[in-house]
Order: sequence, then C-alpha cells, then structure tokens
Amino acid sequence: METAPLQGAATTKPWREGTEEPFVRIGRVTKKFGDFTAVNDVSLDIYKGELFCLLGGSGCGKSTLLRMLAGFERPTEGTISIDGQDMGQLAPYDRPTNMMFQSYALFPHMSVEKNIAYGLLRDGMKKPEAMEKVADMLRLVQLEKFAARRPDQLSGGQRQRVALARSLIKRPKLLLLDEPLGALDKKLREETQFELVNIQETLGITFIVVTHDQEEAMTLSTRIGVMDAGEIVQVDEPPAIYEHPASRFVADFIGSVNMFEGHVTDDEPDYIRISSRDLGQDIHVGHGVSCSMGQRLWFAMRPEKMRLTREKPEGVINAFPATVQDVAYMGNLSVYRVKLRGGRVLSATRANLTRHEEDGISWDEEVWVSWGDTAGVVLTQ
Amino acid sequence: MTGVIDRVAPLRWTARGLKWLGLDGRGLVVAVPVLWLLVFFLIPFLVVAKISVSEAAIALPPYLPIFDWDGIVATITLNLGNYGYLFEDPLYLRAYMFSIRVAFVSACIAILVAYPMALFIARSPEPRRSVLLMLVILPFWTSFLLRVYAWQGFLRSNGVINNFLMWTGLIDQPLVMLQTDFAVYLGIVYTYLPFAILPLYANLVRLDGALLEASADLGARPWATFVHVTLPLSLSGVLAGFMLVFVPAIGEFVIPELLGGPDTLMIGRVLWSEFFSNRDWPVASAVAVAMLVVLVVPIMLLRTVQSRSEDG
Ligand SMILES: Nc1ncnc2c1ncn2[C@@H]1O[C@H](COP(=O)(O)OP(=O)(O)O)[C@@H](O)[C@H]1O
Ligand SMILES: [Mg+2]
Repeated sequence: METAPLQGAATTKPWREGTEEPFVRIGRVTKKFGDFTAVNDVSLDIYKGELFCLLGGSGCGKSTLLRMLAGFERPTEGTISIDGQDMGQLAPYDRPTNMMFQSYALFPHMSVEKNIAYGLLRDGMKKPEAMEKVADMLRLVQLEKFAARRPDQLSGGQRQRVALARSLIKRPKLLLLDEPLGALDKKLREETQFELVNIQETLGITFIVVTHDQEEAMTLSTRIGVMDAGEIVQVDEPPAIYEHPASRFVADFIGSVNMFEGHVTDDEPDYIRISSRDLGQDIHVGHGVSCSMGQRLWFAMRPEKMRLTREKPEGVINAFPATVQDVAYMGNLSVYRVKLRGGRVLSATRANLTRHEEDGISWDEEVWVSWGDTAGVVLTQ
Repeated sequence: MTGVIDRVAPLRWTARGLKWLGLDGRGLVVAVPVLWLLVFFLIPFLVVAKISVSEAAIALPPYLPIFDWDGIVATITLNLGNYGYLFEDPLYLRAYMFSIRVAFVSACIAILVAYPMALFIARSPEPRRSVLLMLVILPFWTSFLLRVYAWQGFLRSNGVINNFLMWTGLIDQPLVMLQTDFAVYLGIVYTYLPFAILPLYANLVRLDGALLEASADLGARPWATFVHVTLPLSLSGVLAGFMLVFVPAIGEFVIPELLGGPDTLMIGRVLWSEFFSNRDWPVASAVAVAMLVVLVVPIMLLRTVQSRSEDG
C-alpha cells in the first residue's frame, strides 16, 4: 500500500481503492420518532480527510443523521463507529466530534473569544494556553478585531465564522456541519465555500456537511451522499452524481433535467433504442444498457447537453423539430423552452458567448433540438 | 375602527374631546394604567404621607389637620416628630432589620427551591408542562389566610407532623415548631413559592436548547453546562423571582401573626399594632412611608441591573 501524502482527500480517493479502513462507519442505522422513520437503514463509510456532503431536500433526515453522529440522538437500530471506536452509548461530551450548528448556537452572554475558548476550558486547559490557541484560531478565521464583541454585535457572516472557529478549536477528529452556509446571502456563501475548503485542507480534519443546496455540495465535497425520505439513494463523487445519476430522483434533484419515459425497442450490445410517446421517433443511445426488450425505462437529458439549430444537423440521429416558446435571459446563459411536435415542452440552455447576438434564436422560431448519442442517461429506476 | 368612530356620533364627539385633551389611541392605552396608579396608588400614598406628618389626637380621625386657615392666615403644621420617633425607639429599627432579614433569607430559600422546579417544568414535554404549571398556580384557588391557618394544624405540638414523628418513634417529645421564626420562614417560602417559580419558568422555557447541545458538544458535562450556560442566562429570572418574594415578604403581616411567636417582630405587625391597638395613625403612617423607602432602594437596584443586562 502506498502512503498517501498529507494533502486531504483532494488528491487521494480511498473510497475507490477500498484498501483503507473507513474513518466513520455508519452501519444499518435507523432512527424512529414514534411511528415516524426519520432515517431508514442507512449504511455509509466515510474516509479520513474527506469533505463529505449529505445532500437532500428539507425533512429528508440529514440533520437527524448528523445529530446521531454527534450523540444528540440515539439510533433506534444500527451502529456508528468513529476512528475504530464504537460510539454506542457515548454522550456528546465524550465523543471525538464537534458540531457547527445550523443556528450557530453561539453563547449570547459570552464574547467571541470566550465562545471559542469554551471547549478548551471545559477540557481543563489552563487559561493562558487556551487564549493563545484562541488567538491563533481568530487569525485563521480573520476575526482578530472582534475578539471582545458579543455575538449580537456581529454580522451574519462574522457569526458564522465564530461558530466555525468554536467547533474547530478542539481539533476534533470529525467536524459535523449542519447547513453551515445556509444563513448567508449568495455572494458571501460562494466566498465562504472556498474558505471552508481551504480550512479543511489546512487542518486535515474530516468534515461531514449537511446541505440542501446542490451547488454547494458540488463545490465543496469530495463525495456526496444524496438522501431521500430517510434513505441514502446514491453516494458518489460530484461529477459522477451529476453525469451518472443512479435514479430518476437523483437526476431530477441535482441540476435540471428533461425526463422521457419510454420502453426499449432495440437492445443490442453496443446500442439501444427507446421509444417514447413524447417524441415522434426513437431515441438512439450509443452504448449498451443492461435491460430487456420492451422494458419500461427513463431517459434523462440535461438542458446544456442539447443543441438548438435552425437547420437539421447532419449525421445526428437524435434530432427533433420544435418551436421556441420562451427565452429566459440569465446573464451567463439563456434558457429556451421549446415545444416538440407532440406537445411536450423541453428546456435547453445555451451559453451566451458574445454580448450581442443579433442572429440569436428567438421566440416562435422553428428549430431542431438534437443531442449526441451518449449525451443522455438511461435510468431503470 | 376609525370607520365606526367616524360614523357613530357619540363616539365621534368623544374622540374629538379626547383629541382636544391631547389623547390619541396610543395615549389612551397609556392613560388607563396611569390613571389607575394615580387613583389607587399615588393619591392614597399622599394621604398616608400627609397623616405621617400630622399630630396624633384623641379625635375622629385621630390626628390634627396639618392645614389651618383662620380666615386671614393659612398655617401649615408639619410634625416631623413621627419620623424622629422611629429612630428614637430601637423597636422600629429592630423590626425593620428583622423584616429585611426574614424577607431576604426567605427569598433566597424560595429561589433555591423554585429553580429546580422551574427547570423541571420548562424541560417537560408539552401536555405535562401545562399540568405542572396548573399545579403551581392551584394554591391560589383557596384563600391565602386559610392556607396559612392550615399550617398551624401541621406545626402544632399535637399537629400532623409531630403526631407522625411520634408515631414512627423518631421523637418522644413533640417538637416546638409553631410560634417560632422557623414557622415564619416556612410560611413565607410556602406562600410565595409560585411567585419565584413563574418568572424563573418563563425565563428557562425560552432558553434555546441548541445552546445546551452546543455546550455538551464542546465537552461540558451536565453540571458544567448548568453553571456556564443555563444559570448565567437565567439570572434575570432569578432576580425577578427573588424580588417578587422579597418585596411583599418585608411587609408581611398575616404569616408572622399566625405562625410566628410573640417576639417575631416584623414591621407589618408593628404597623398593625400602631394603627389598631395604639390608634396612633401618624406614627403608623410614618412606619408605612419609611417601609416604602426601604423597598424602593432594592427595586431601583433591580431595575438598573436588569436594564444593564438587557443592553450590554
Ligand atoms: N425530535 C423529533 N421528534 C419528532 N420528529 C422529528 C424530530 N426531529 C426530526 N423529526 C422529523 O424527522 C424528519 C427529518 O428531520 P431532519 O433530520 O431535521 O430533516 P432535514 O433533512 O431537513 O435536516 C422531519 O420530518 C422531522 O419532522
Ligand atoms: Mg436540517
């Protein structure tokens, strides 16, 4: 086995090799609140140095899973171990984890400095030593000037950094972050995303981040676990989640997608054909798919992978005539709503490459929608 | 709202009249409590203050008017001797000091008892919480006098407690509990406990549970969390509960009268005997005014502490 450089997960991908022991093992964990199952039979392995994102809609059980790792909730069934140690009945204060709360949960009666020092002092560290560490941490999160302020005298972004600093000061083996950027406005959120990744790589601490924002998950994470109704439906690296979604739910949840329902009319080793009622002709998929003749399946097509042209493109099998219904200018790109002959409306995007596109496709034009034969994803569930 | 007032003539006239007096909607809302305080607090207080500087007499009412007008010259006679008298006779000073001590100790005990109860209620799940709160308020449904009287039945030498202890064989002589300072403390703590619990509960129930989780997450055991998070954040509730016991306990009359001994000299009892036994209204009034001054000091203290904890 090769020893990985101490660089965090950005360069090594232990989940691909499967040689390294997972750092966090979640084994068939279920959490019930009365009759309601908030987390359902979740198994997950997370490796040292990862920045793992739990992604899912509101109420799908992300926070509950995170809270079980922190020790605030006990699993109804299943086991959790961190760094080889079974968490079992361990109380939060005995766990090697720290959490950054969605509401930040800063102590309102303490200064920034005291908030950050809290964890060290509770562990019995002497005050001068603790304050030295706090000063270092304040530098890391660029809050030196605000050490004496109280939380209610800070902006949202500053509070967020205090919460981060407080949860990092004890150098936990595992940091749990519940919607860490949720309360920030868009611009600040984007800046902070990169800061978060930087800090994570500098300290080499394993992060588990809960978010409902798919862009955030894409930007931050080494891997994403997509959750739906208490279950993990797919775990993969961000590009794989986007380009190879495992199910209709994932394809739909991550980014936008045009979904066609159809059945297999031709099943060859190197291509298949799918017939869909929405389209006047079969879809040609240029690779083999494990399916059977006549099987019902779905074809997912991302808007940016479709081409819009006035002329019928040469040598492309998947080309369909349509009418432009609507164009939405978004700045960096334009979203076209086009109506197929059968009545189905698709959305397609085009990058706005020039500032004035005199010749651009516009409302009510007759166009051809087309895509390459490997541009879409065939989904069987 | 305005529509109705505009359409109905009497309302319109009233509104106009009030506006002429400089009272709009907001003014009215403030005017009601101001009027209340004026009629039921300030005016009686002025009457008492007036009596306290007049001279006692065998008459009806038993004091001389301070205001005299013989048709030509108006004379005002202020008799400050009543206040001087409070300092001359050590009885009054002793009664004040003893009242403050009893009220202070009772308030401290009440807070110590009320805090865990309030915390328990605040942390209870919803249906149980309402029931517990009801139970706290339940004693108010019977007369305060009856409840204090009932304590006599418990504390007497042949009362419930002594009978029980003798029956178990723990003691063979009845304990003297009634007519002691102990009984007074017990009575005050018992009577005023809800006033300590309620503000503490109101404070503790608002405490954000995430703060407790954050504290535990950062390595604090339950006791450390209590000392460093729960307690400091509930100090204003502690103070409010303390004051709500301390202030009325100073002037308490019924409890020392019914449960205390003859030498349990609290200022409320002194006031009573001055007023009804001695019929010396001026001195009784002076005692009352002086008591108010004694009370105003801690209340002002509370206000400054509270406003400081609110803005900084
Ligand atoms: N303490 C609780 N008691 C009952 N239901 C809960 C509790 N905590 C969470 N739930 C429920 O579990 C589900 C998942 O909650 P949560 O994990 O907070 O979702 P999210 O993915 O938005 O973070 C929600 O439907 C929520 O109502
Ligand atoms: Mg959540």
